[in-house]
Amino acid sequence: MATQTLILLIATLGAVAAAAWRARPWLVPLAHARPANRLDRPWQRLTVVLADIGLHRRLLRIRFSGVMHLMIFTSFLVLFTVIVQAFGAGFFPGFSLEPIGGHTWLAAVQEVFTVVIAAALGMAIWHRFVRRPARFAGSNRRDATTIYALIAAIVVTMLLEWAARIAAGGDPSEPYRPLSAALAGGLGGLGLEGDAAATASSAFYWAHIASILAFLVYIPGSKHRHMFAAAPNIFFRSLAPKGQLPPPPPAGDSDDQPGTVQRFSDFTWKDLLDGLSCTECGRCQAVCPAHGSGAELSPKQLVMDLRDGMTATNERGAAGDSPIAGGTVSTEALWACTTCRACMEVCPLHIEHVPKIVQLRRSLVEEGEIEPMLQDSLTSLQSYGNSFGKSPKQRARWTRGLSFKPKDVRKEAVDVLWFVGDFSSFDPRVQRLTVLVAELLAQAEVDFGILYEGERNSGNDVRRVGDEGLFDLLARHNIAELEGCSFNRILTTDPHSLNALSNEYAALGAHYDVVHHTKFLWELLEAGRLDPVSRSGQIVTYHDPCYLGRYNDEFEAPRRLIRRLGHDLHDMGRCRENSYCCGAGGGRIWMDDSGLAQRPSENRIEEALALEGVTRFVVSCPKDVVMYTAAVQALGVEDRIAVWEIAELLDEALRVPQPGSSAAD
Amino acid sequence: MKIAVTLRLTPDLTEELELTEDGRDIDREWIGLVLNEFDDQALEQAVLLKEAAGAEVTALAIDGEGVERLLRTALARGADAVRRIPADDAPSSARALTPLYAAAVREIGADLVLAGVLATDDLHGELAPFLAAELGWRQASAVSDVRIEDGDVVVRQEYSGGRAAQLALTLPAVVGLQTASQPPRYVAGSKLRDLLKVEVPEMAVDAAPAATGIEPATLALPDRGAGAEMIEGSADQIAERLHAILVERDMA
Ligand code: SF4
Ligand code: SF4
Repeated sequence: MATQTLILLIATLGAVAAAAWRARPWLVPLAHARPANRLDRPWQRLTVVLADIGLHRRLLRIRFSGVMHLMIFTSFLVLFTVIVQAFGAGFFPGFSLEPIGGHTWLAAVQEVFTVVIAAALGMAIWHRFVRRPARFAGSNRRDATTIYALIAAIVVTMLLEWAARIAAGGDPSEPYRPLSAALAGGLGGLGLEGDAAATASSAFYWAHIASILAFLVYIPGSKHRHMFAAAPNIFFRSLAPKGQLPPPPPAGDSDDQPGTVQRFSDFTWKDLLDGLSCTECGRCQAVCPAHGSGAELSPKQLVMDLRDGMTATNERGAAGDSPIAGGTVSTEALWACTTCRACMEVCPLHIEHVPKIVQLRRSLVEEGEIEPMLQDSLTSLQSYGNSFGKSPKQRARWTRGLSFKPKDVRKEAVDVLWFVGDFSSFDPRVQRLTVLVAELLAQAEVDFGILYEGERNSGNDVRRVGDEGLFDLLARHNIAELEGCSFNRILTTDPHSLNALSNEYAALGAHYDVVHHTKFLWELLEAGRLDPVSRSGQIVTYHDPCYLGRYNDEFEAPRRLIRRLGHDLHDMGRCRENSYCCGAGGGRIWMDDSGLAQRPSENRIEEALALEGVTRFVVSCPKDVVMYTAAVQALGVEDRIAVWEIAELLDEALRVPQPGSSAAD
Repeated sequence: MKIAVTLRLTPDLTEELELTEDGRDIDREWIGLVLNEFDDQALEQAVLLKEAAGAEVTALAIDGEGVERLLRTALARGADAVRRIPADDAPSSARALTPLYAAAVREIGADLVLAGVLATDDLHGELAPFLAAELGWRQASAVSDVRIEDGDVVVRQEYSGGRAAQLALTLPAVVGLQTASQPPRYVAGSKLRDLLKVEVPEMAVDAAPAATGIEPATLALPDRGAGAEMIEGSADQIAERLHAILVERDMA
């Protein structure tokens, strides 16, 4: 074996060993993590991998960064042929890519992408050091810088090697390498020609090899792991319904299986892989309402902390003495999350933040450590089945305001079972809307009924708060009640109840056809059972509730309804999948929000006010009614904008005198 | 050491109270019952003492609607045992119930009884003193900061003007507790769920309620006389009226 080959072999093996050593801190925990089956529906998995990596679907949502990444990504693919050539020739003297155009078109393409990657590198550096978007705050800058330097080293040595080879003369690819040729001219001007150039070419070759190996050794300890982790991380993403949380880890008899996530080995391997894939891009942080309102939580920081905590724990060799919740991640950060899912929606790696946050909340709740204000609501939920501390007997008290008495579905069969929900039943600010919806249903002659005191809180937010046992009690109570009733569909005005009934209860074996009132009212209109007079003139905006839109993909029905009533709908910048949470979700509505710099709901109202001419802020969730009415008051802008539930818009249009009647409009 | 805690369910005052037809009791038909908040403190304190000094905690309650649930919660909170004491037609006065509690306390062999200092239906805090009298034990009421030191129970009793005393009581003793040294803990739903099927044992006692010779003749709802204005209507109307009043009196 030639000496050169031997040196290359030793260097490569050494680098691989060093890389493996640097991967050890996370390889070990990964091997000890809990199982998770993520192999079902492989095609569905693969298509998203192709879309999000091949086509950069999510990355391109931020144009500049997306394009820059695409440039680097394609350059890496193309320039990988250079690496193949370099190592191929090193190990097998005489190896060449010539048969597939290594001296002709491939050489030309390599030249082009040398320019592309150089440009992308320039963009990246400018972006990170000059423009400095807020989403990078908290990311590891040194890591990013090191990577830029290594990529630059690889590209520069590559280019110099080509140029020196051309300068030495007789390189067959010279006509296809205009850039290298020009550079060769420059080298020639410096006196580098003939044998000297050949020697230089060989030196650059080794420098090139050295920078590639340095890159290889560096990656396992860097966020640039994502080069290798991204595809598997996206492939192995959860395919469960978006609104269905994973169960807690199964409890065993020994302390080793506590039934909650207390140590890193209680997470699944996929949870840990998530951390290893994170690129620290901060897209999640930029859209997070908790972070935006000055709370201690950043989803990016959370993922980074979990990752660093995991590797540090393993490096210490201990099984992790300090708990994750309250240790690696502060309890304040965990309680701050609204479970709005905005972070998961934008993460290019499909990292799953919310399930991790909920798993960690579960470990706190199990120990009785909960956010101070939360205790009252949860205790009420335990005793009464609602967070208002009202006796279940008072649940249907709002019906006193009705012109009729709704059917009791526990006694009579109905077409539509209306699951009213806590806020609609008990909150005085929402009750009048509940009455209004009931009257609309009656007007459309809908055969509907309610569960009266048989209904309990759906448990959606209880589950997200982390009280799995209480969720189970509430859900099973409701399922048992529903079992005894005869109905075709479930109607609800509450997206949180909708989510629990359609996604969470399914995991408990109960399947229902659940419809949100926005869709249901639209259907009534379509069927001609309600016939509003459309009158134009109002400029309105619409807020997508997280649990209706992002979680359950209902974006159109409310918009159709608003337009059908003759209003001019102007969407806010953050709409549909990118809607901005009101701040009430995930049990936040039961917690203290006085410490926030600015409530998400107030931020949202300001966003709406910035739209030209908008006077109505249309919502379709009882909690939004409460949150935004308070926000409008807190900002003192009652004279500029008013919160309207979508049913109110419909009611208003139904009250308009029919054309031909004498009353003026 | 054995600690007994007495737990009482009292009418939930966040709800509207109505009187029965004869006007001698509140209408219990629609009313919710909640654990008396001071008993809640007593339970927490008992569990804290158990955790600090080692003890066996038994929670006692006069049987009635909701009591099984209440006692299961006590188990989830850390009580070692629970007993419901049957009583037909239980009178609501603390004084009358004292013999039943006393018999139960004797039967379980407790050395220390922790009772809530008062309840909505025992506003003058009669339970602890009467119970101590019945048992012939030492007693201190309206106390906080309960600790066990050298076999004595040490408590802090507050007086007016910020003055306070540390009292040491030789066991056995009855303590009428005001606040526990930590707020009552939250019990995760999973613990409640696990206890759903647990049988709550009954403990019949050989005692009858005491005849107090005091019976309510009539009860009265809040007086709507001169100084008071009952504000009624929707939340908006109420808020508006409140605002008007505050403005009227220069308080806004
Ligand atoms: S779910 Fe929403 S609040 Fe929670 S971390 Fe993600 S973006 Fe932030
Ligand atoms: S979690 Fe996803 S979106 Fe957030 S920083 Fe990491 S890679 Fe970016």
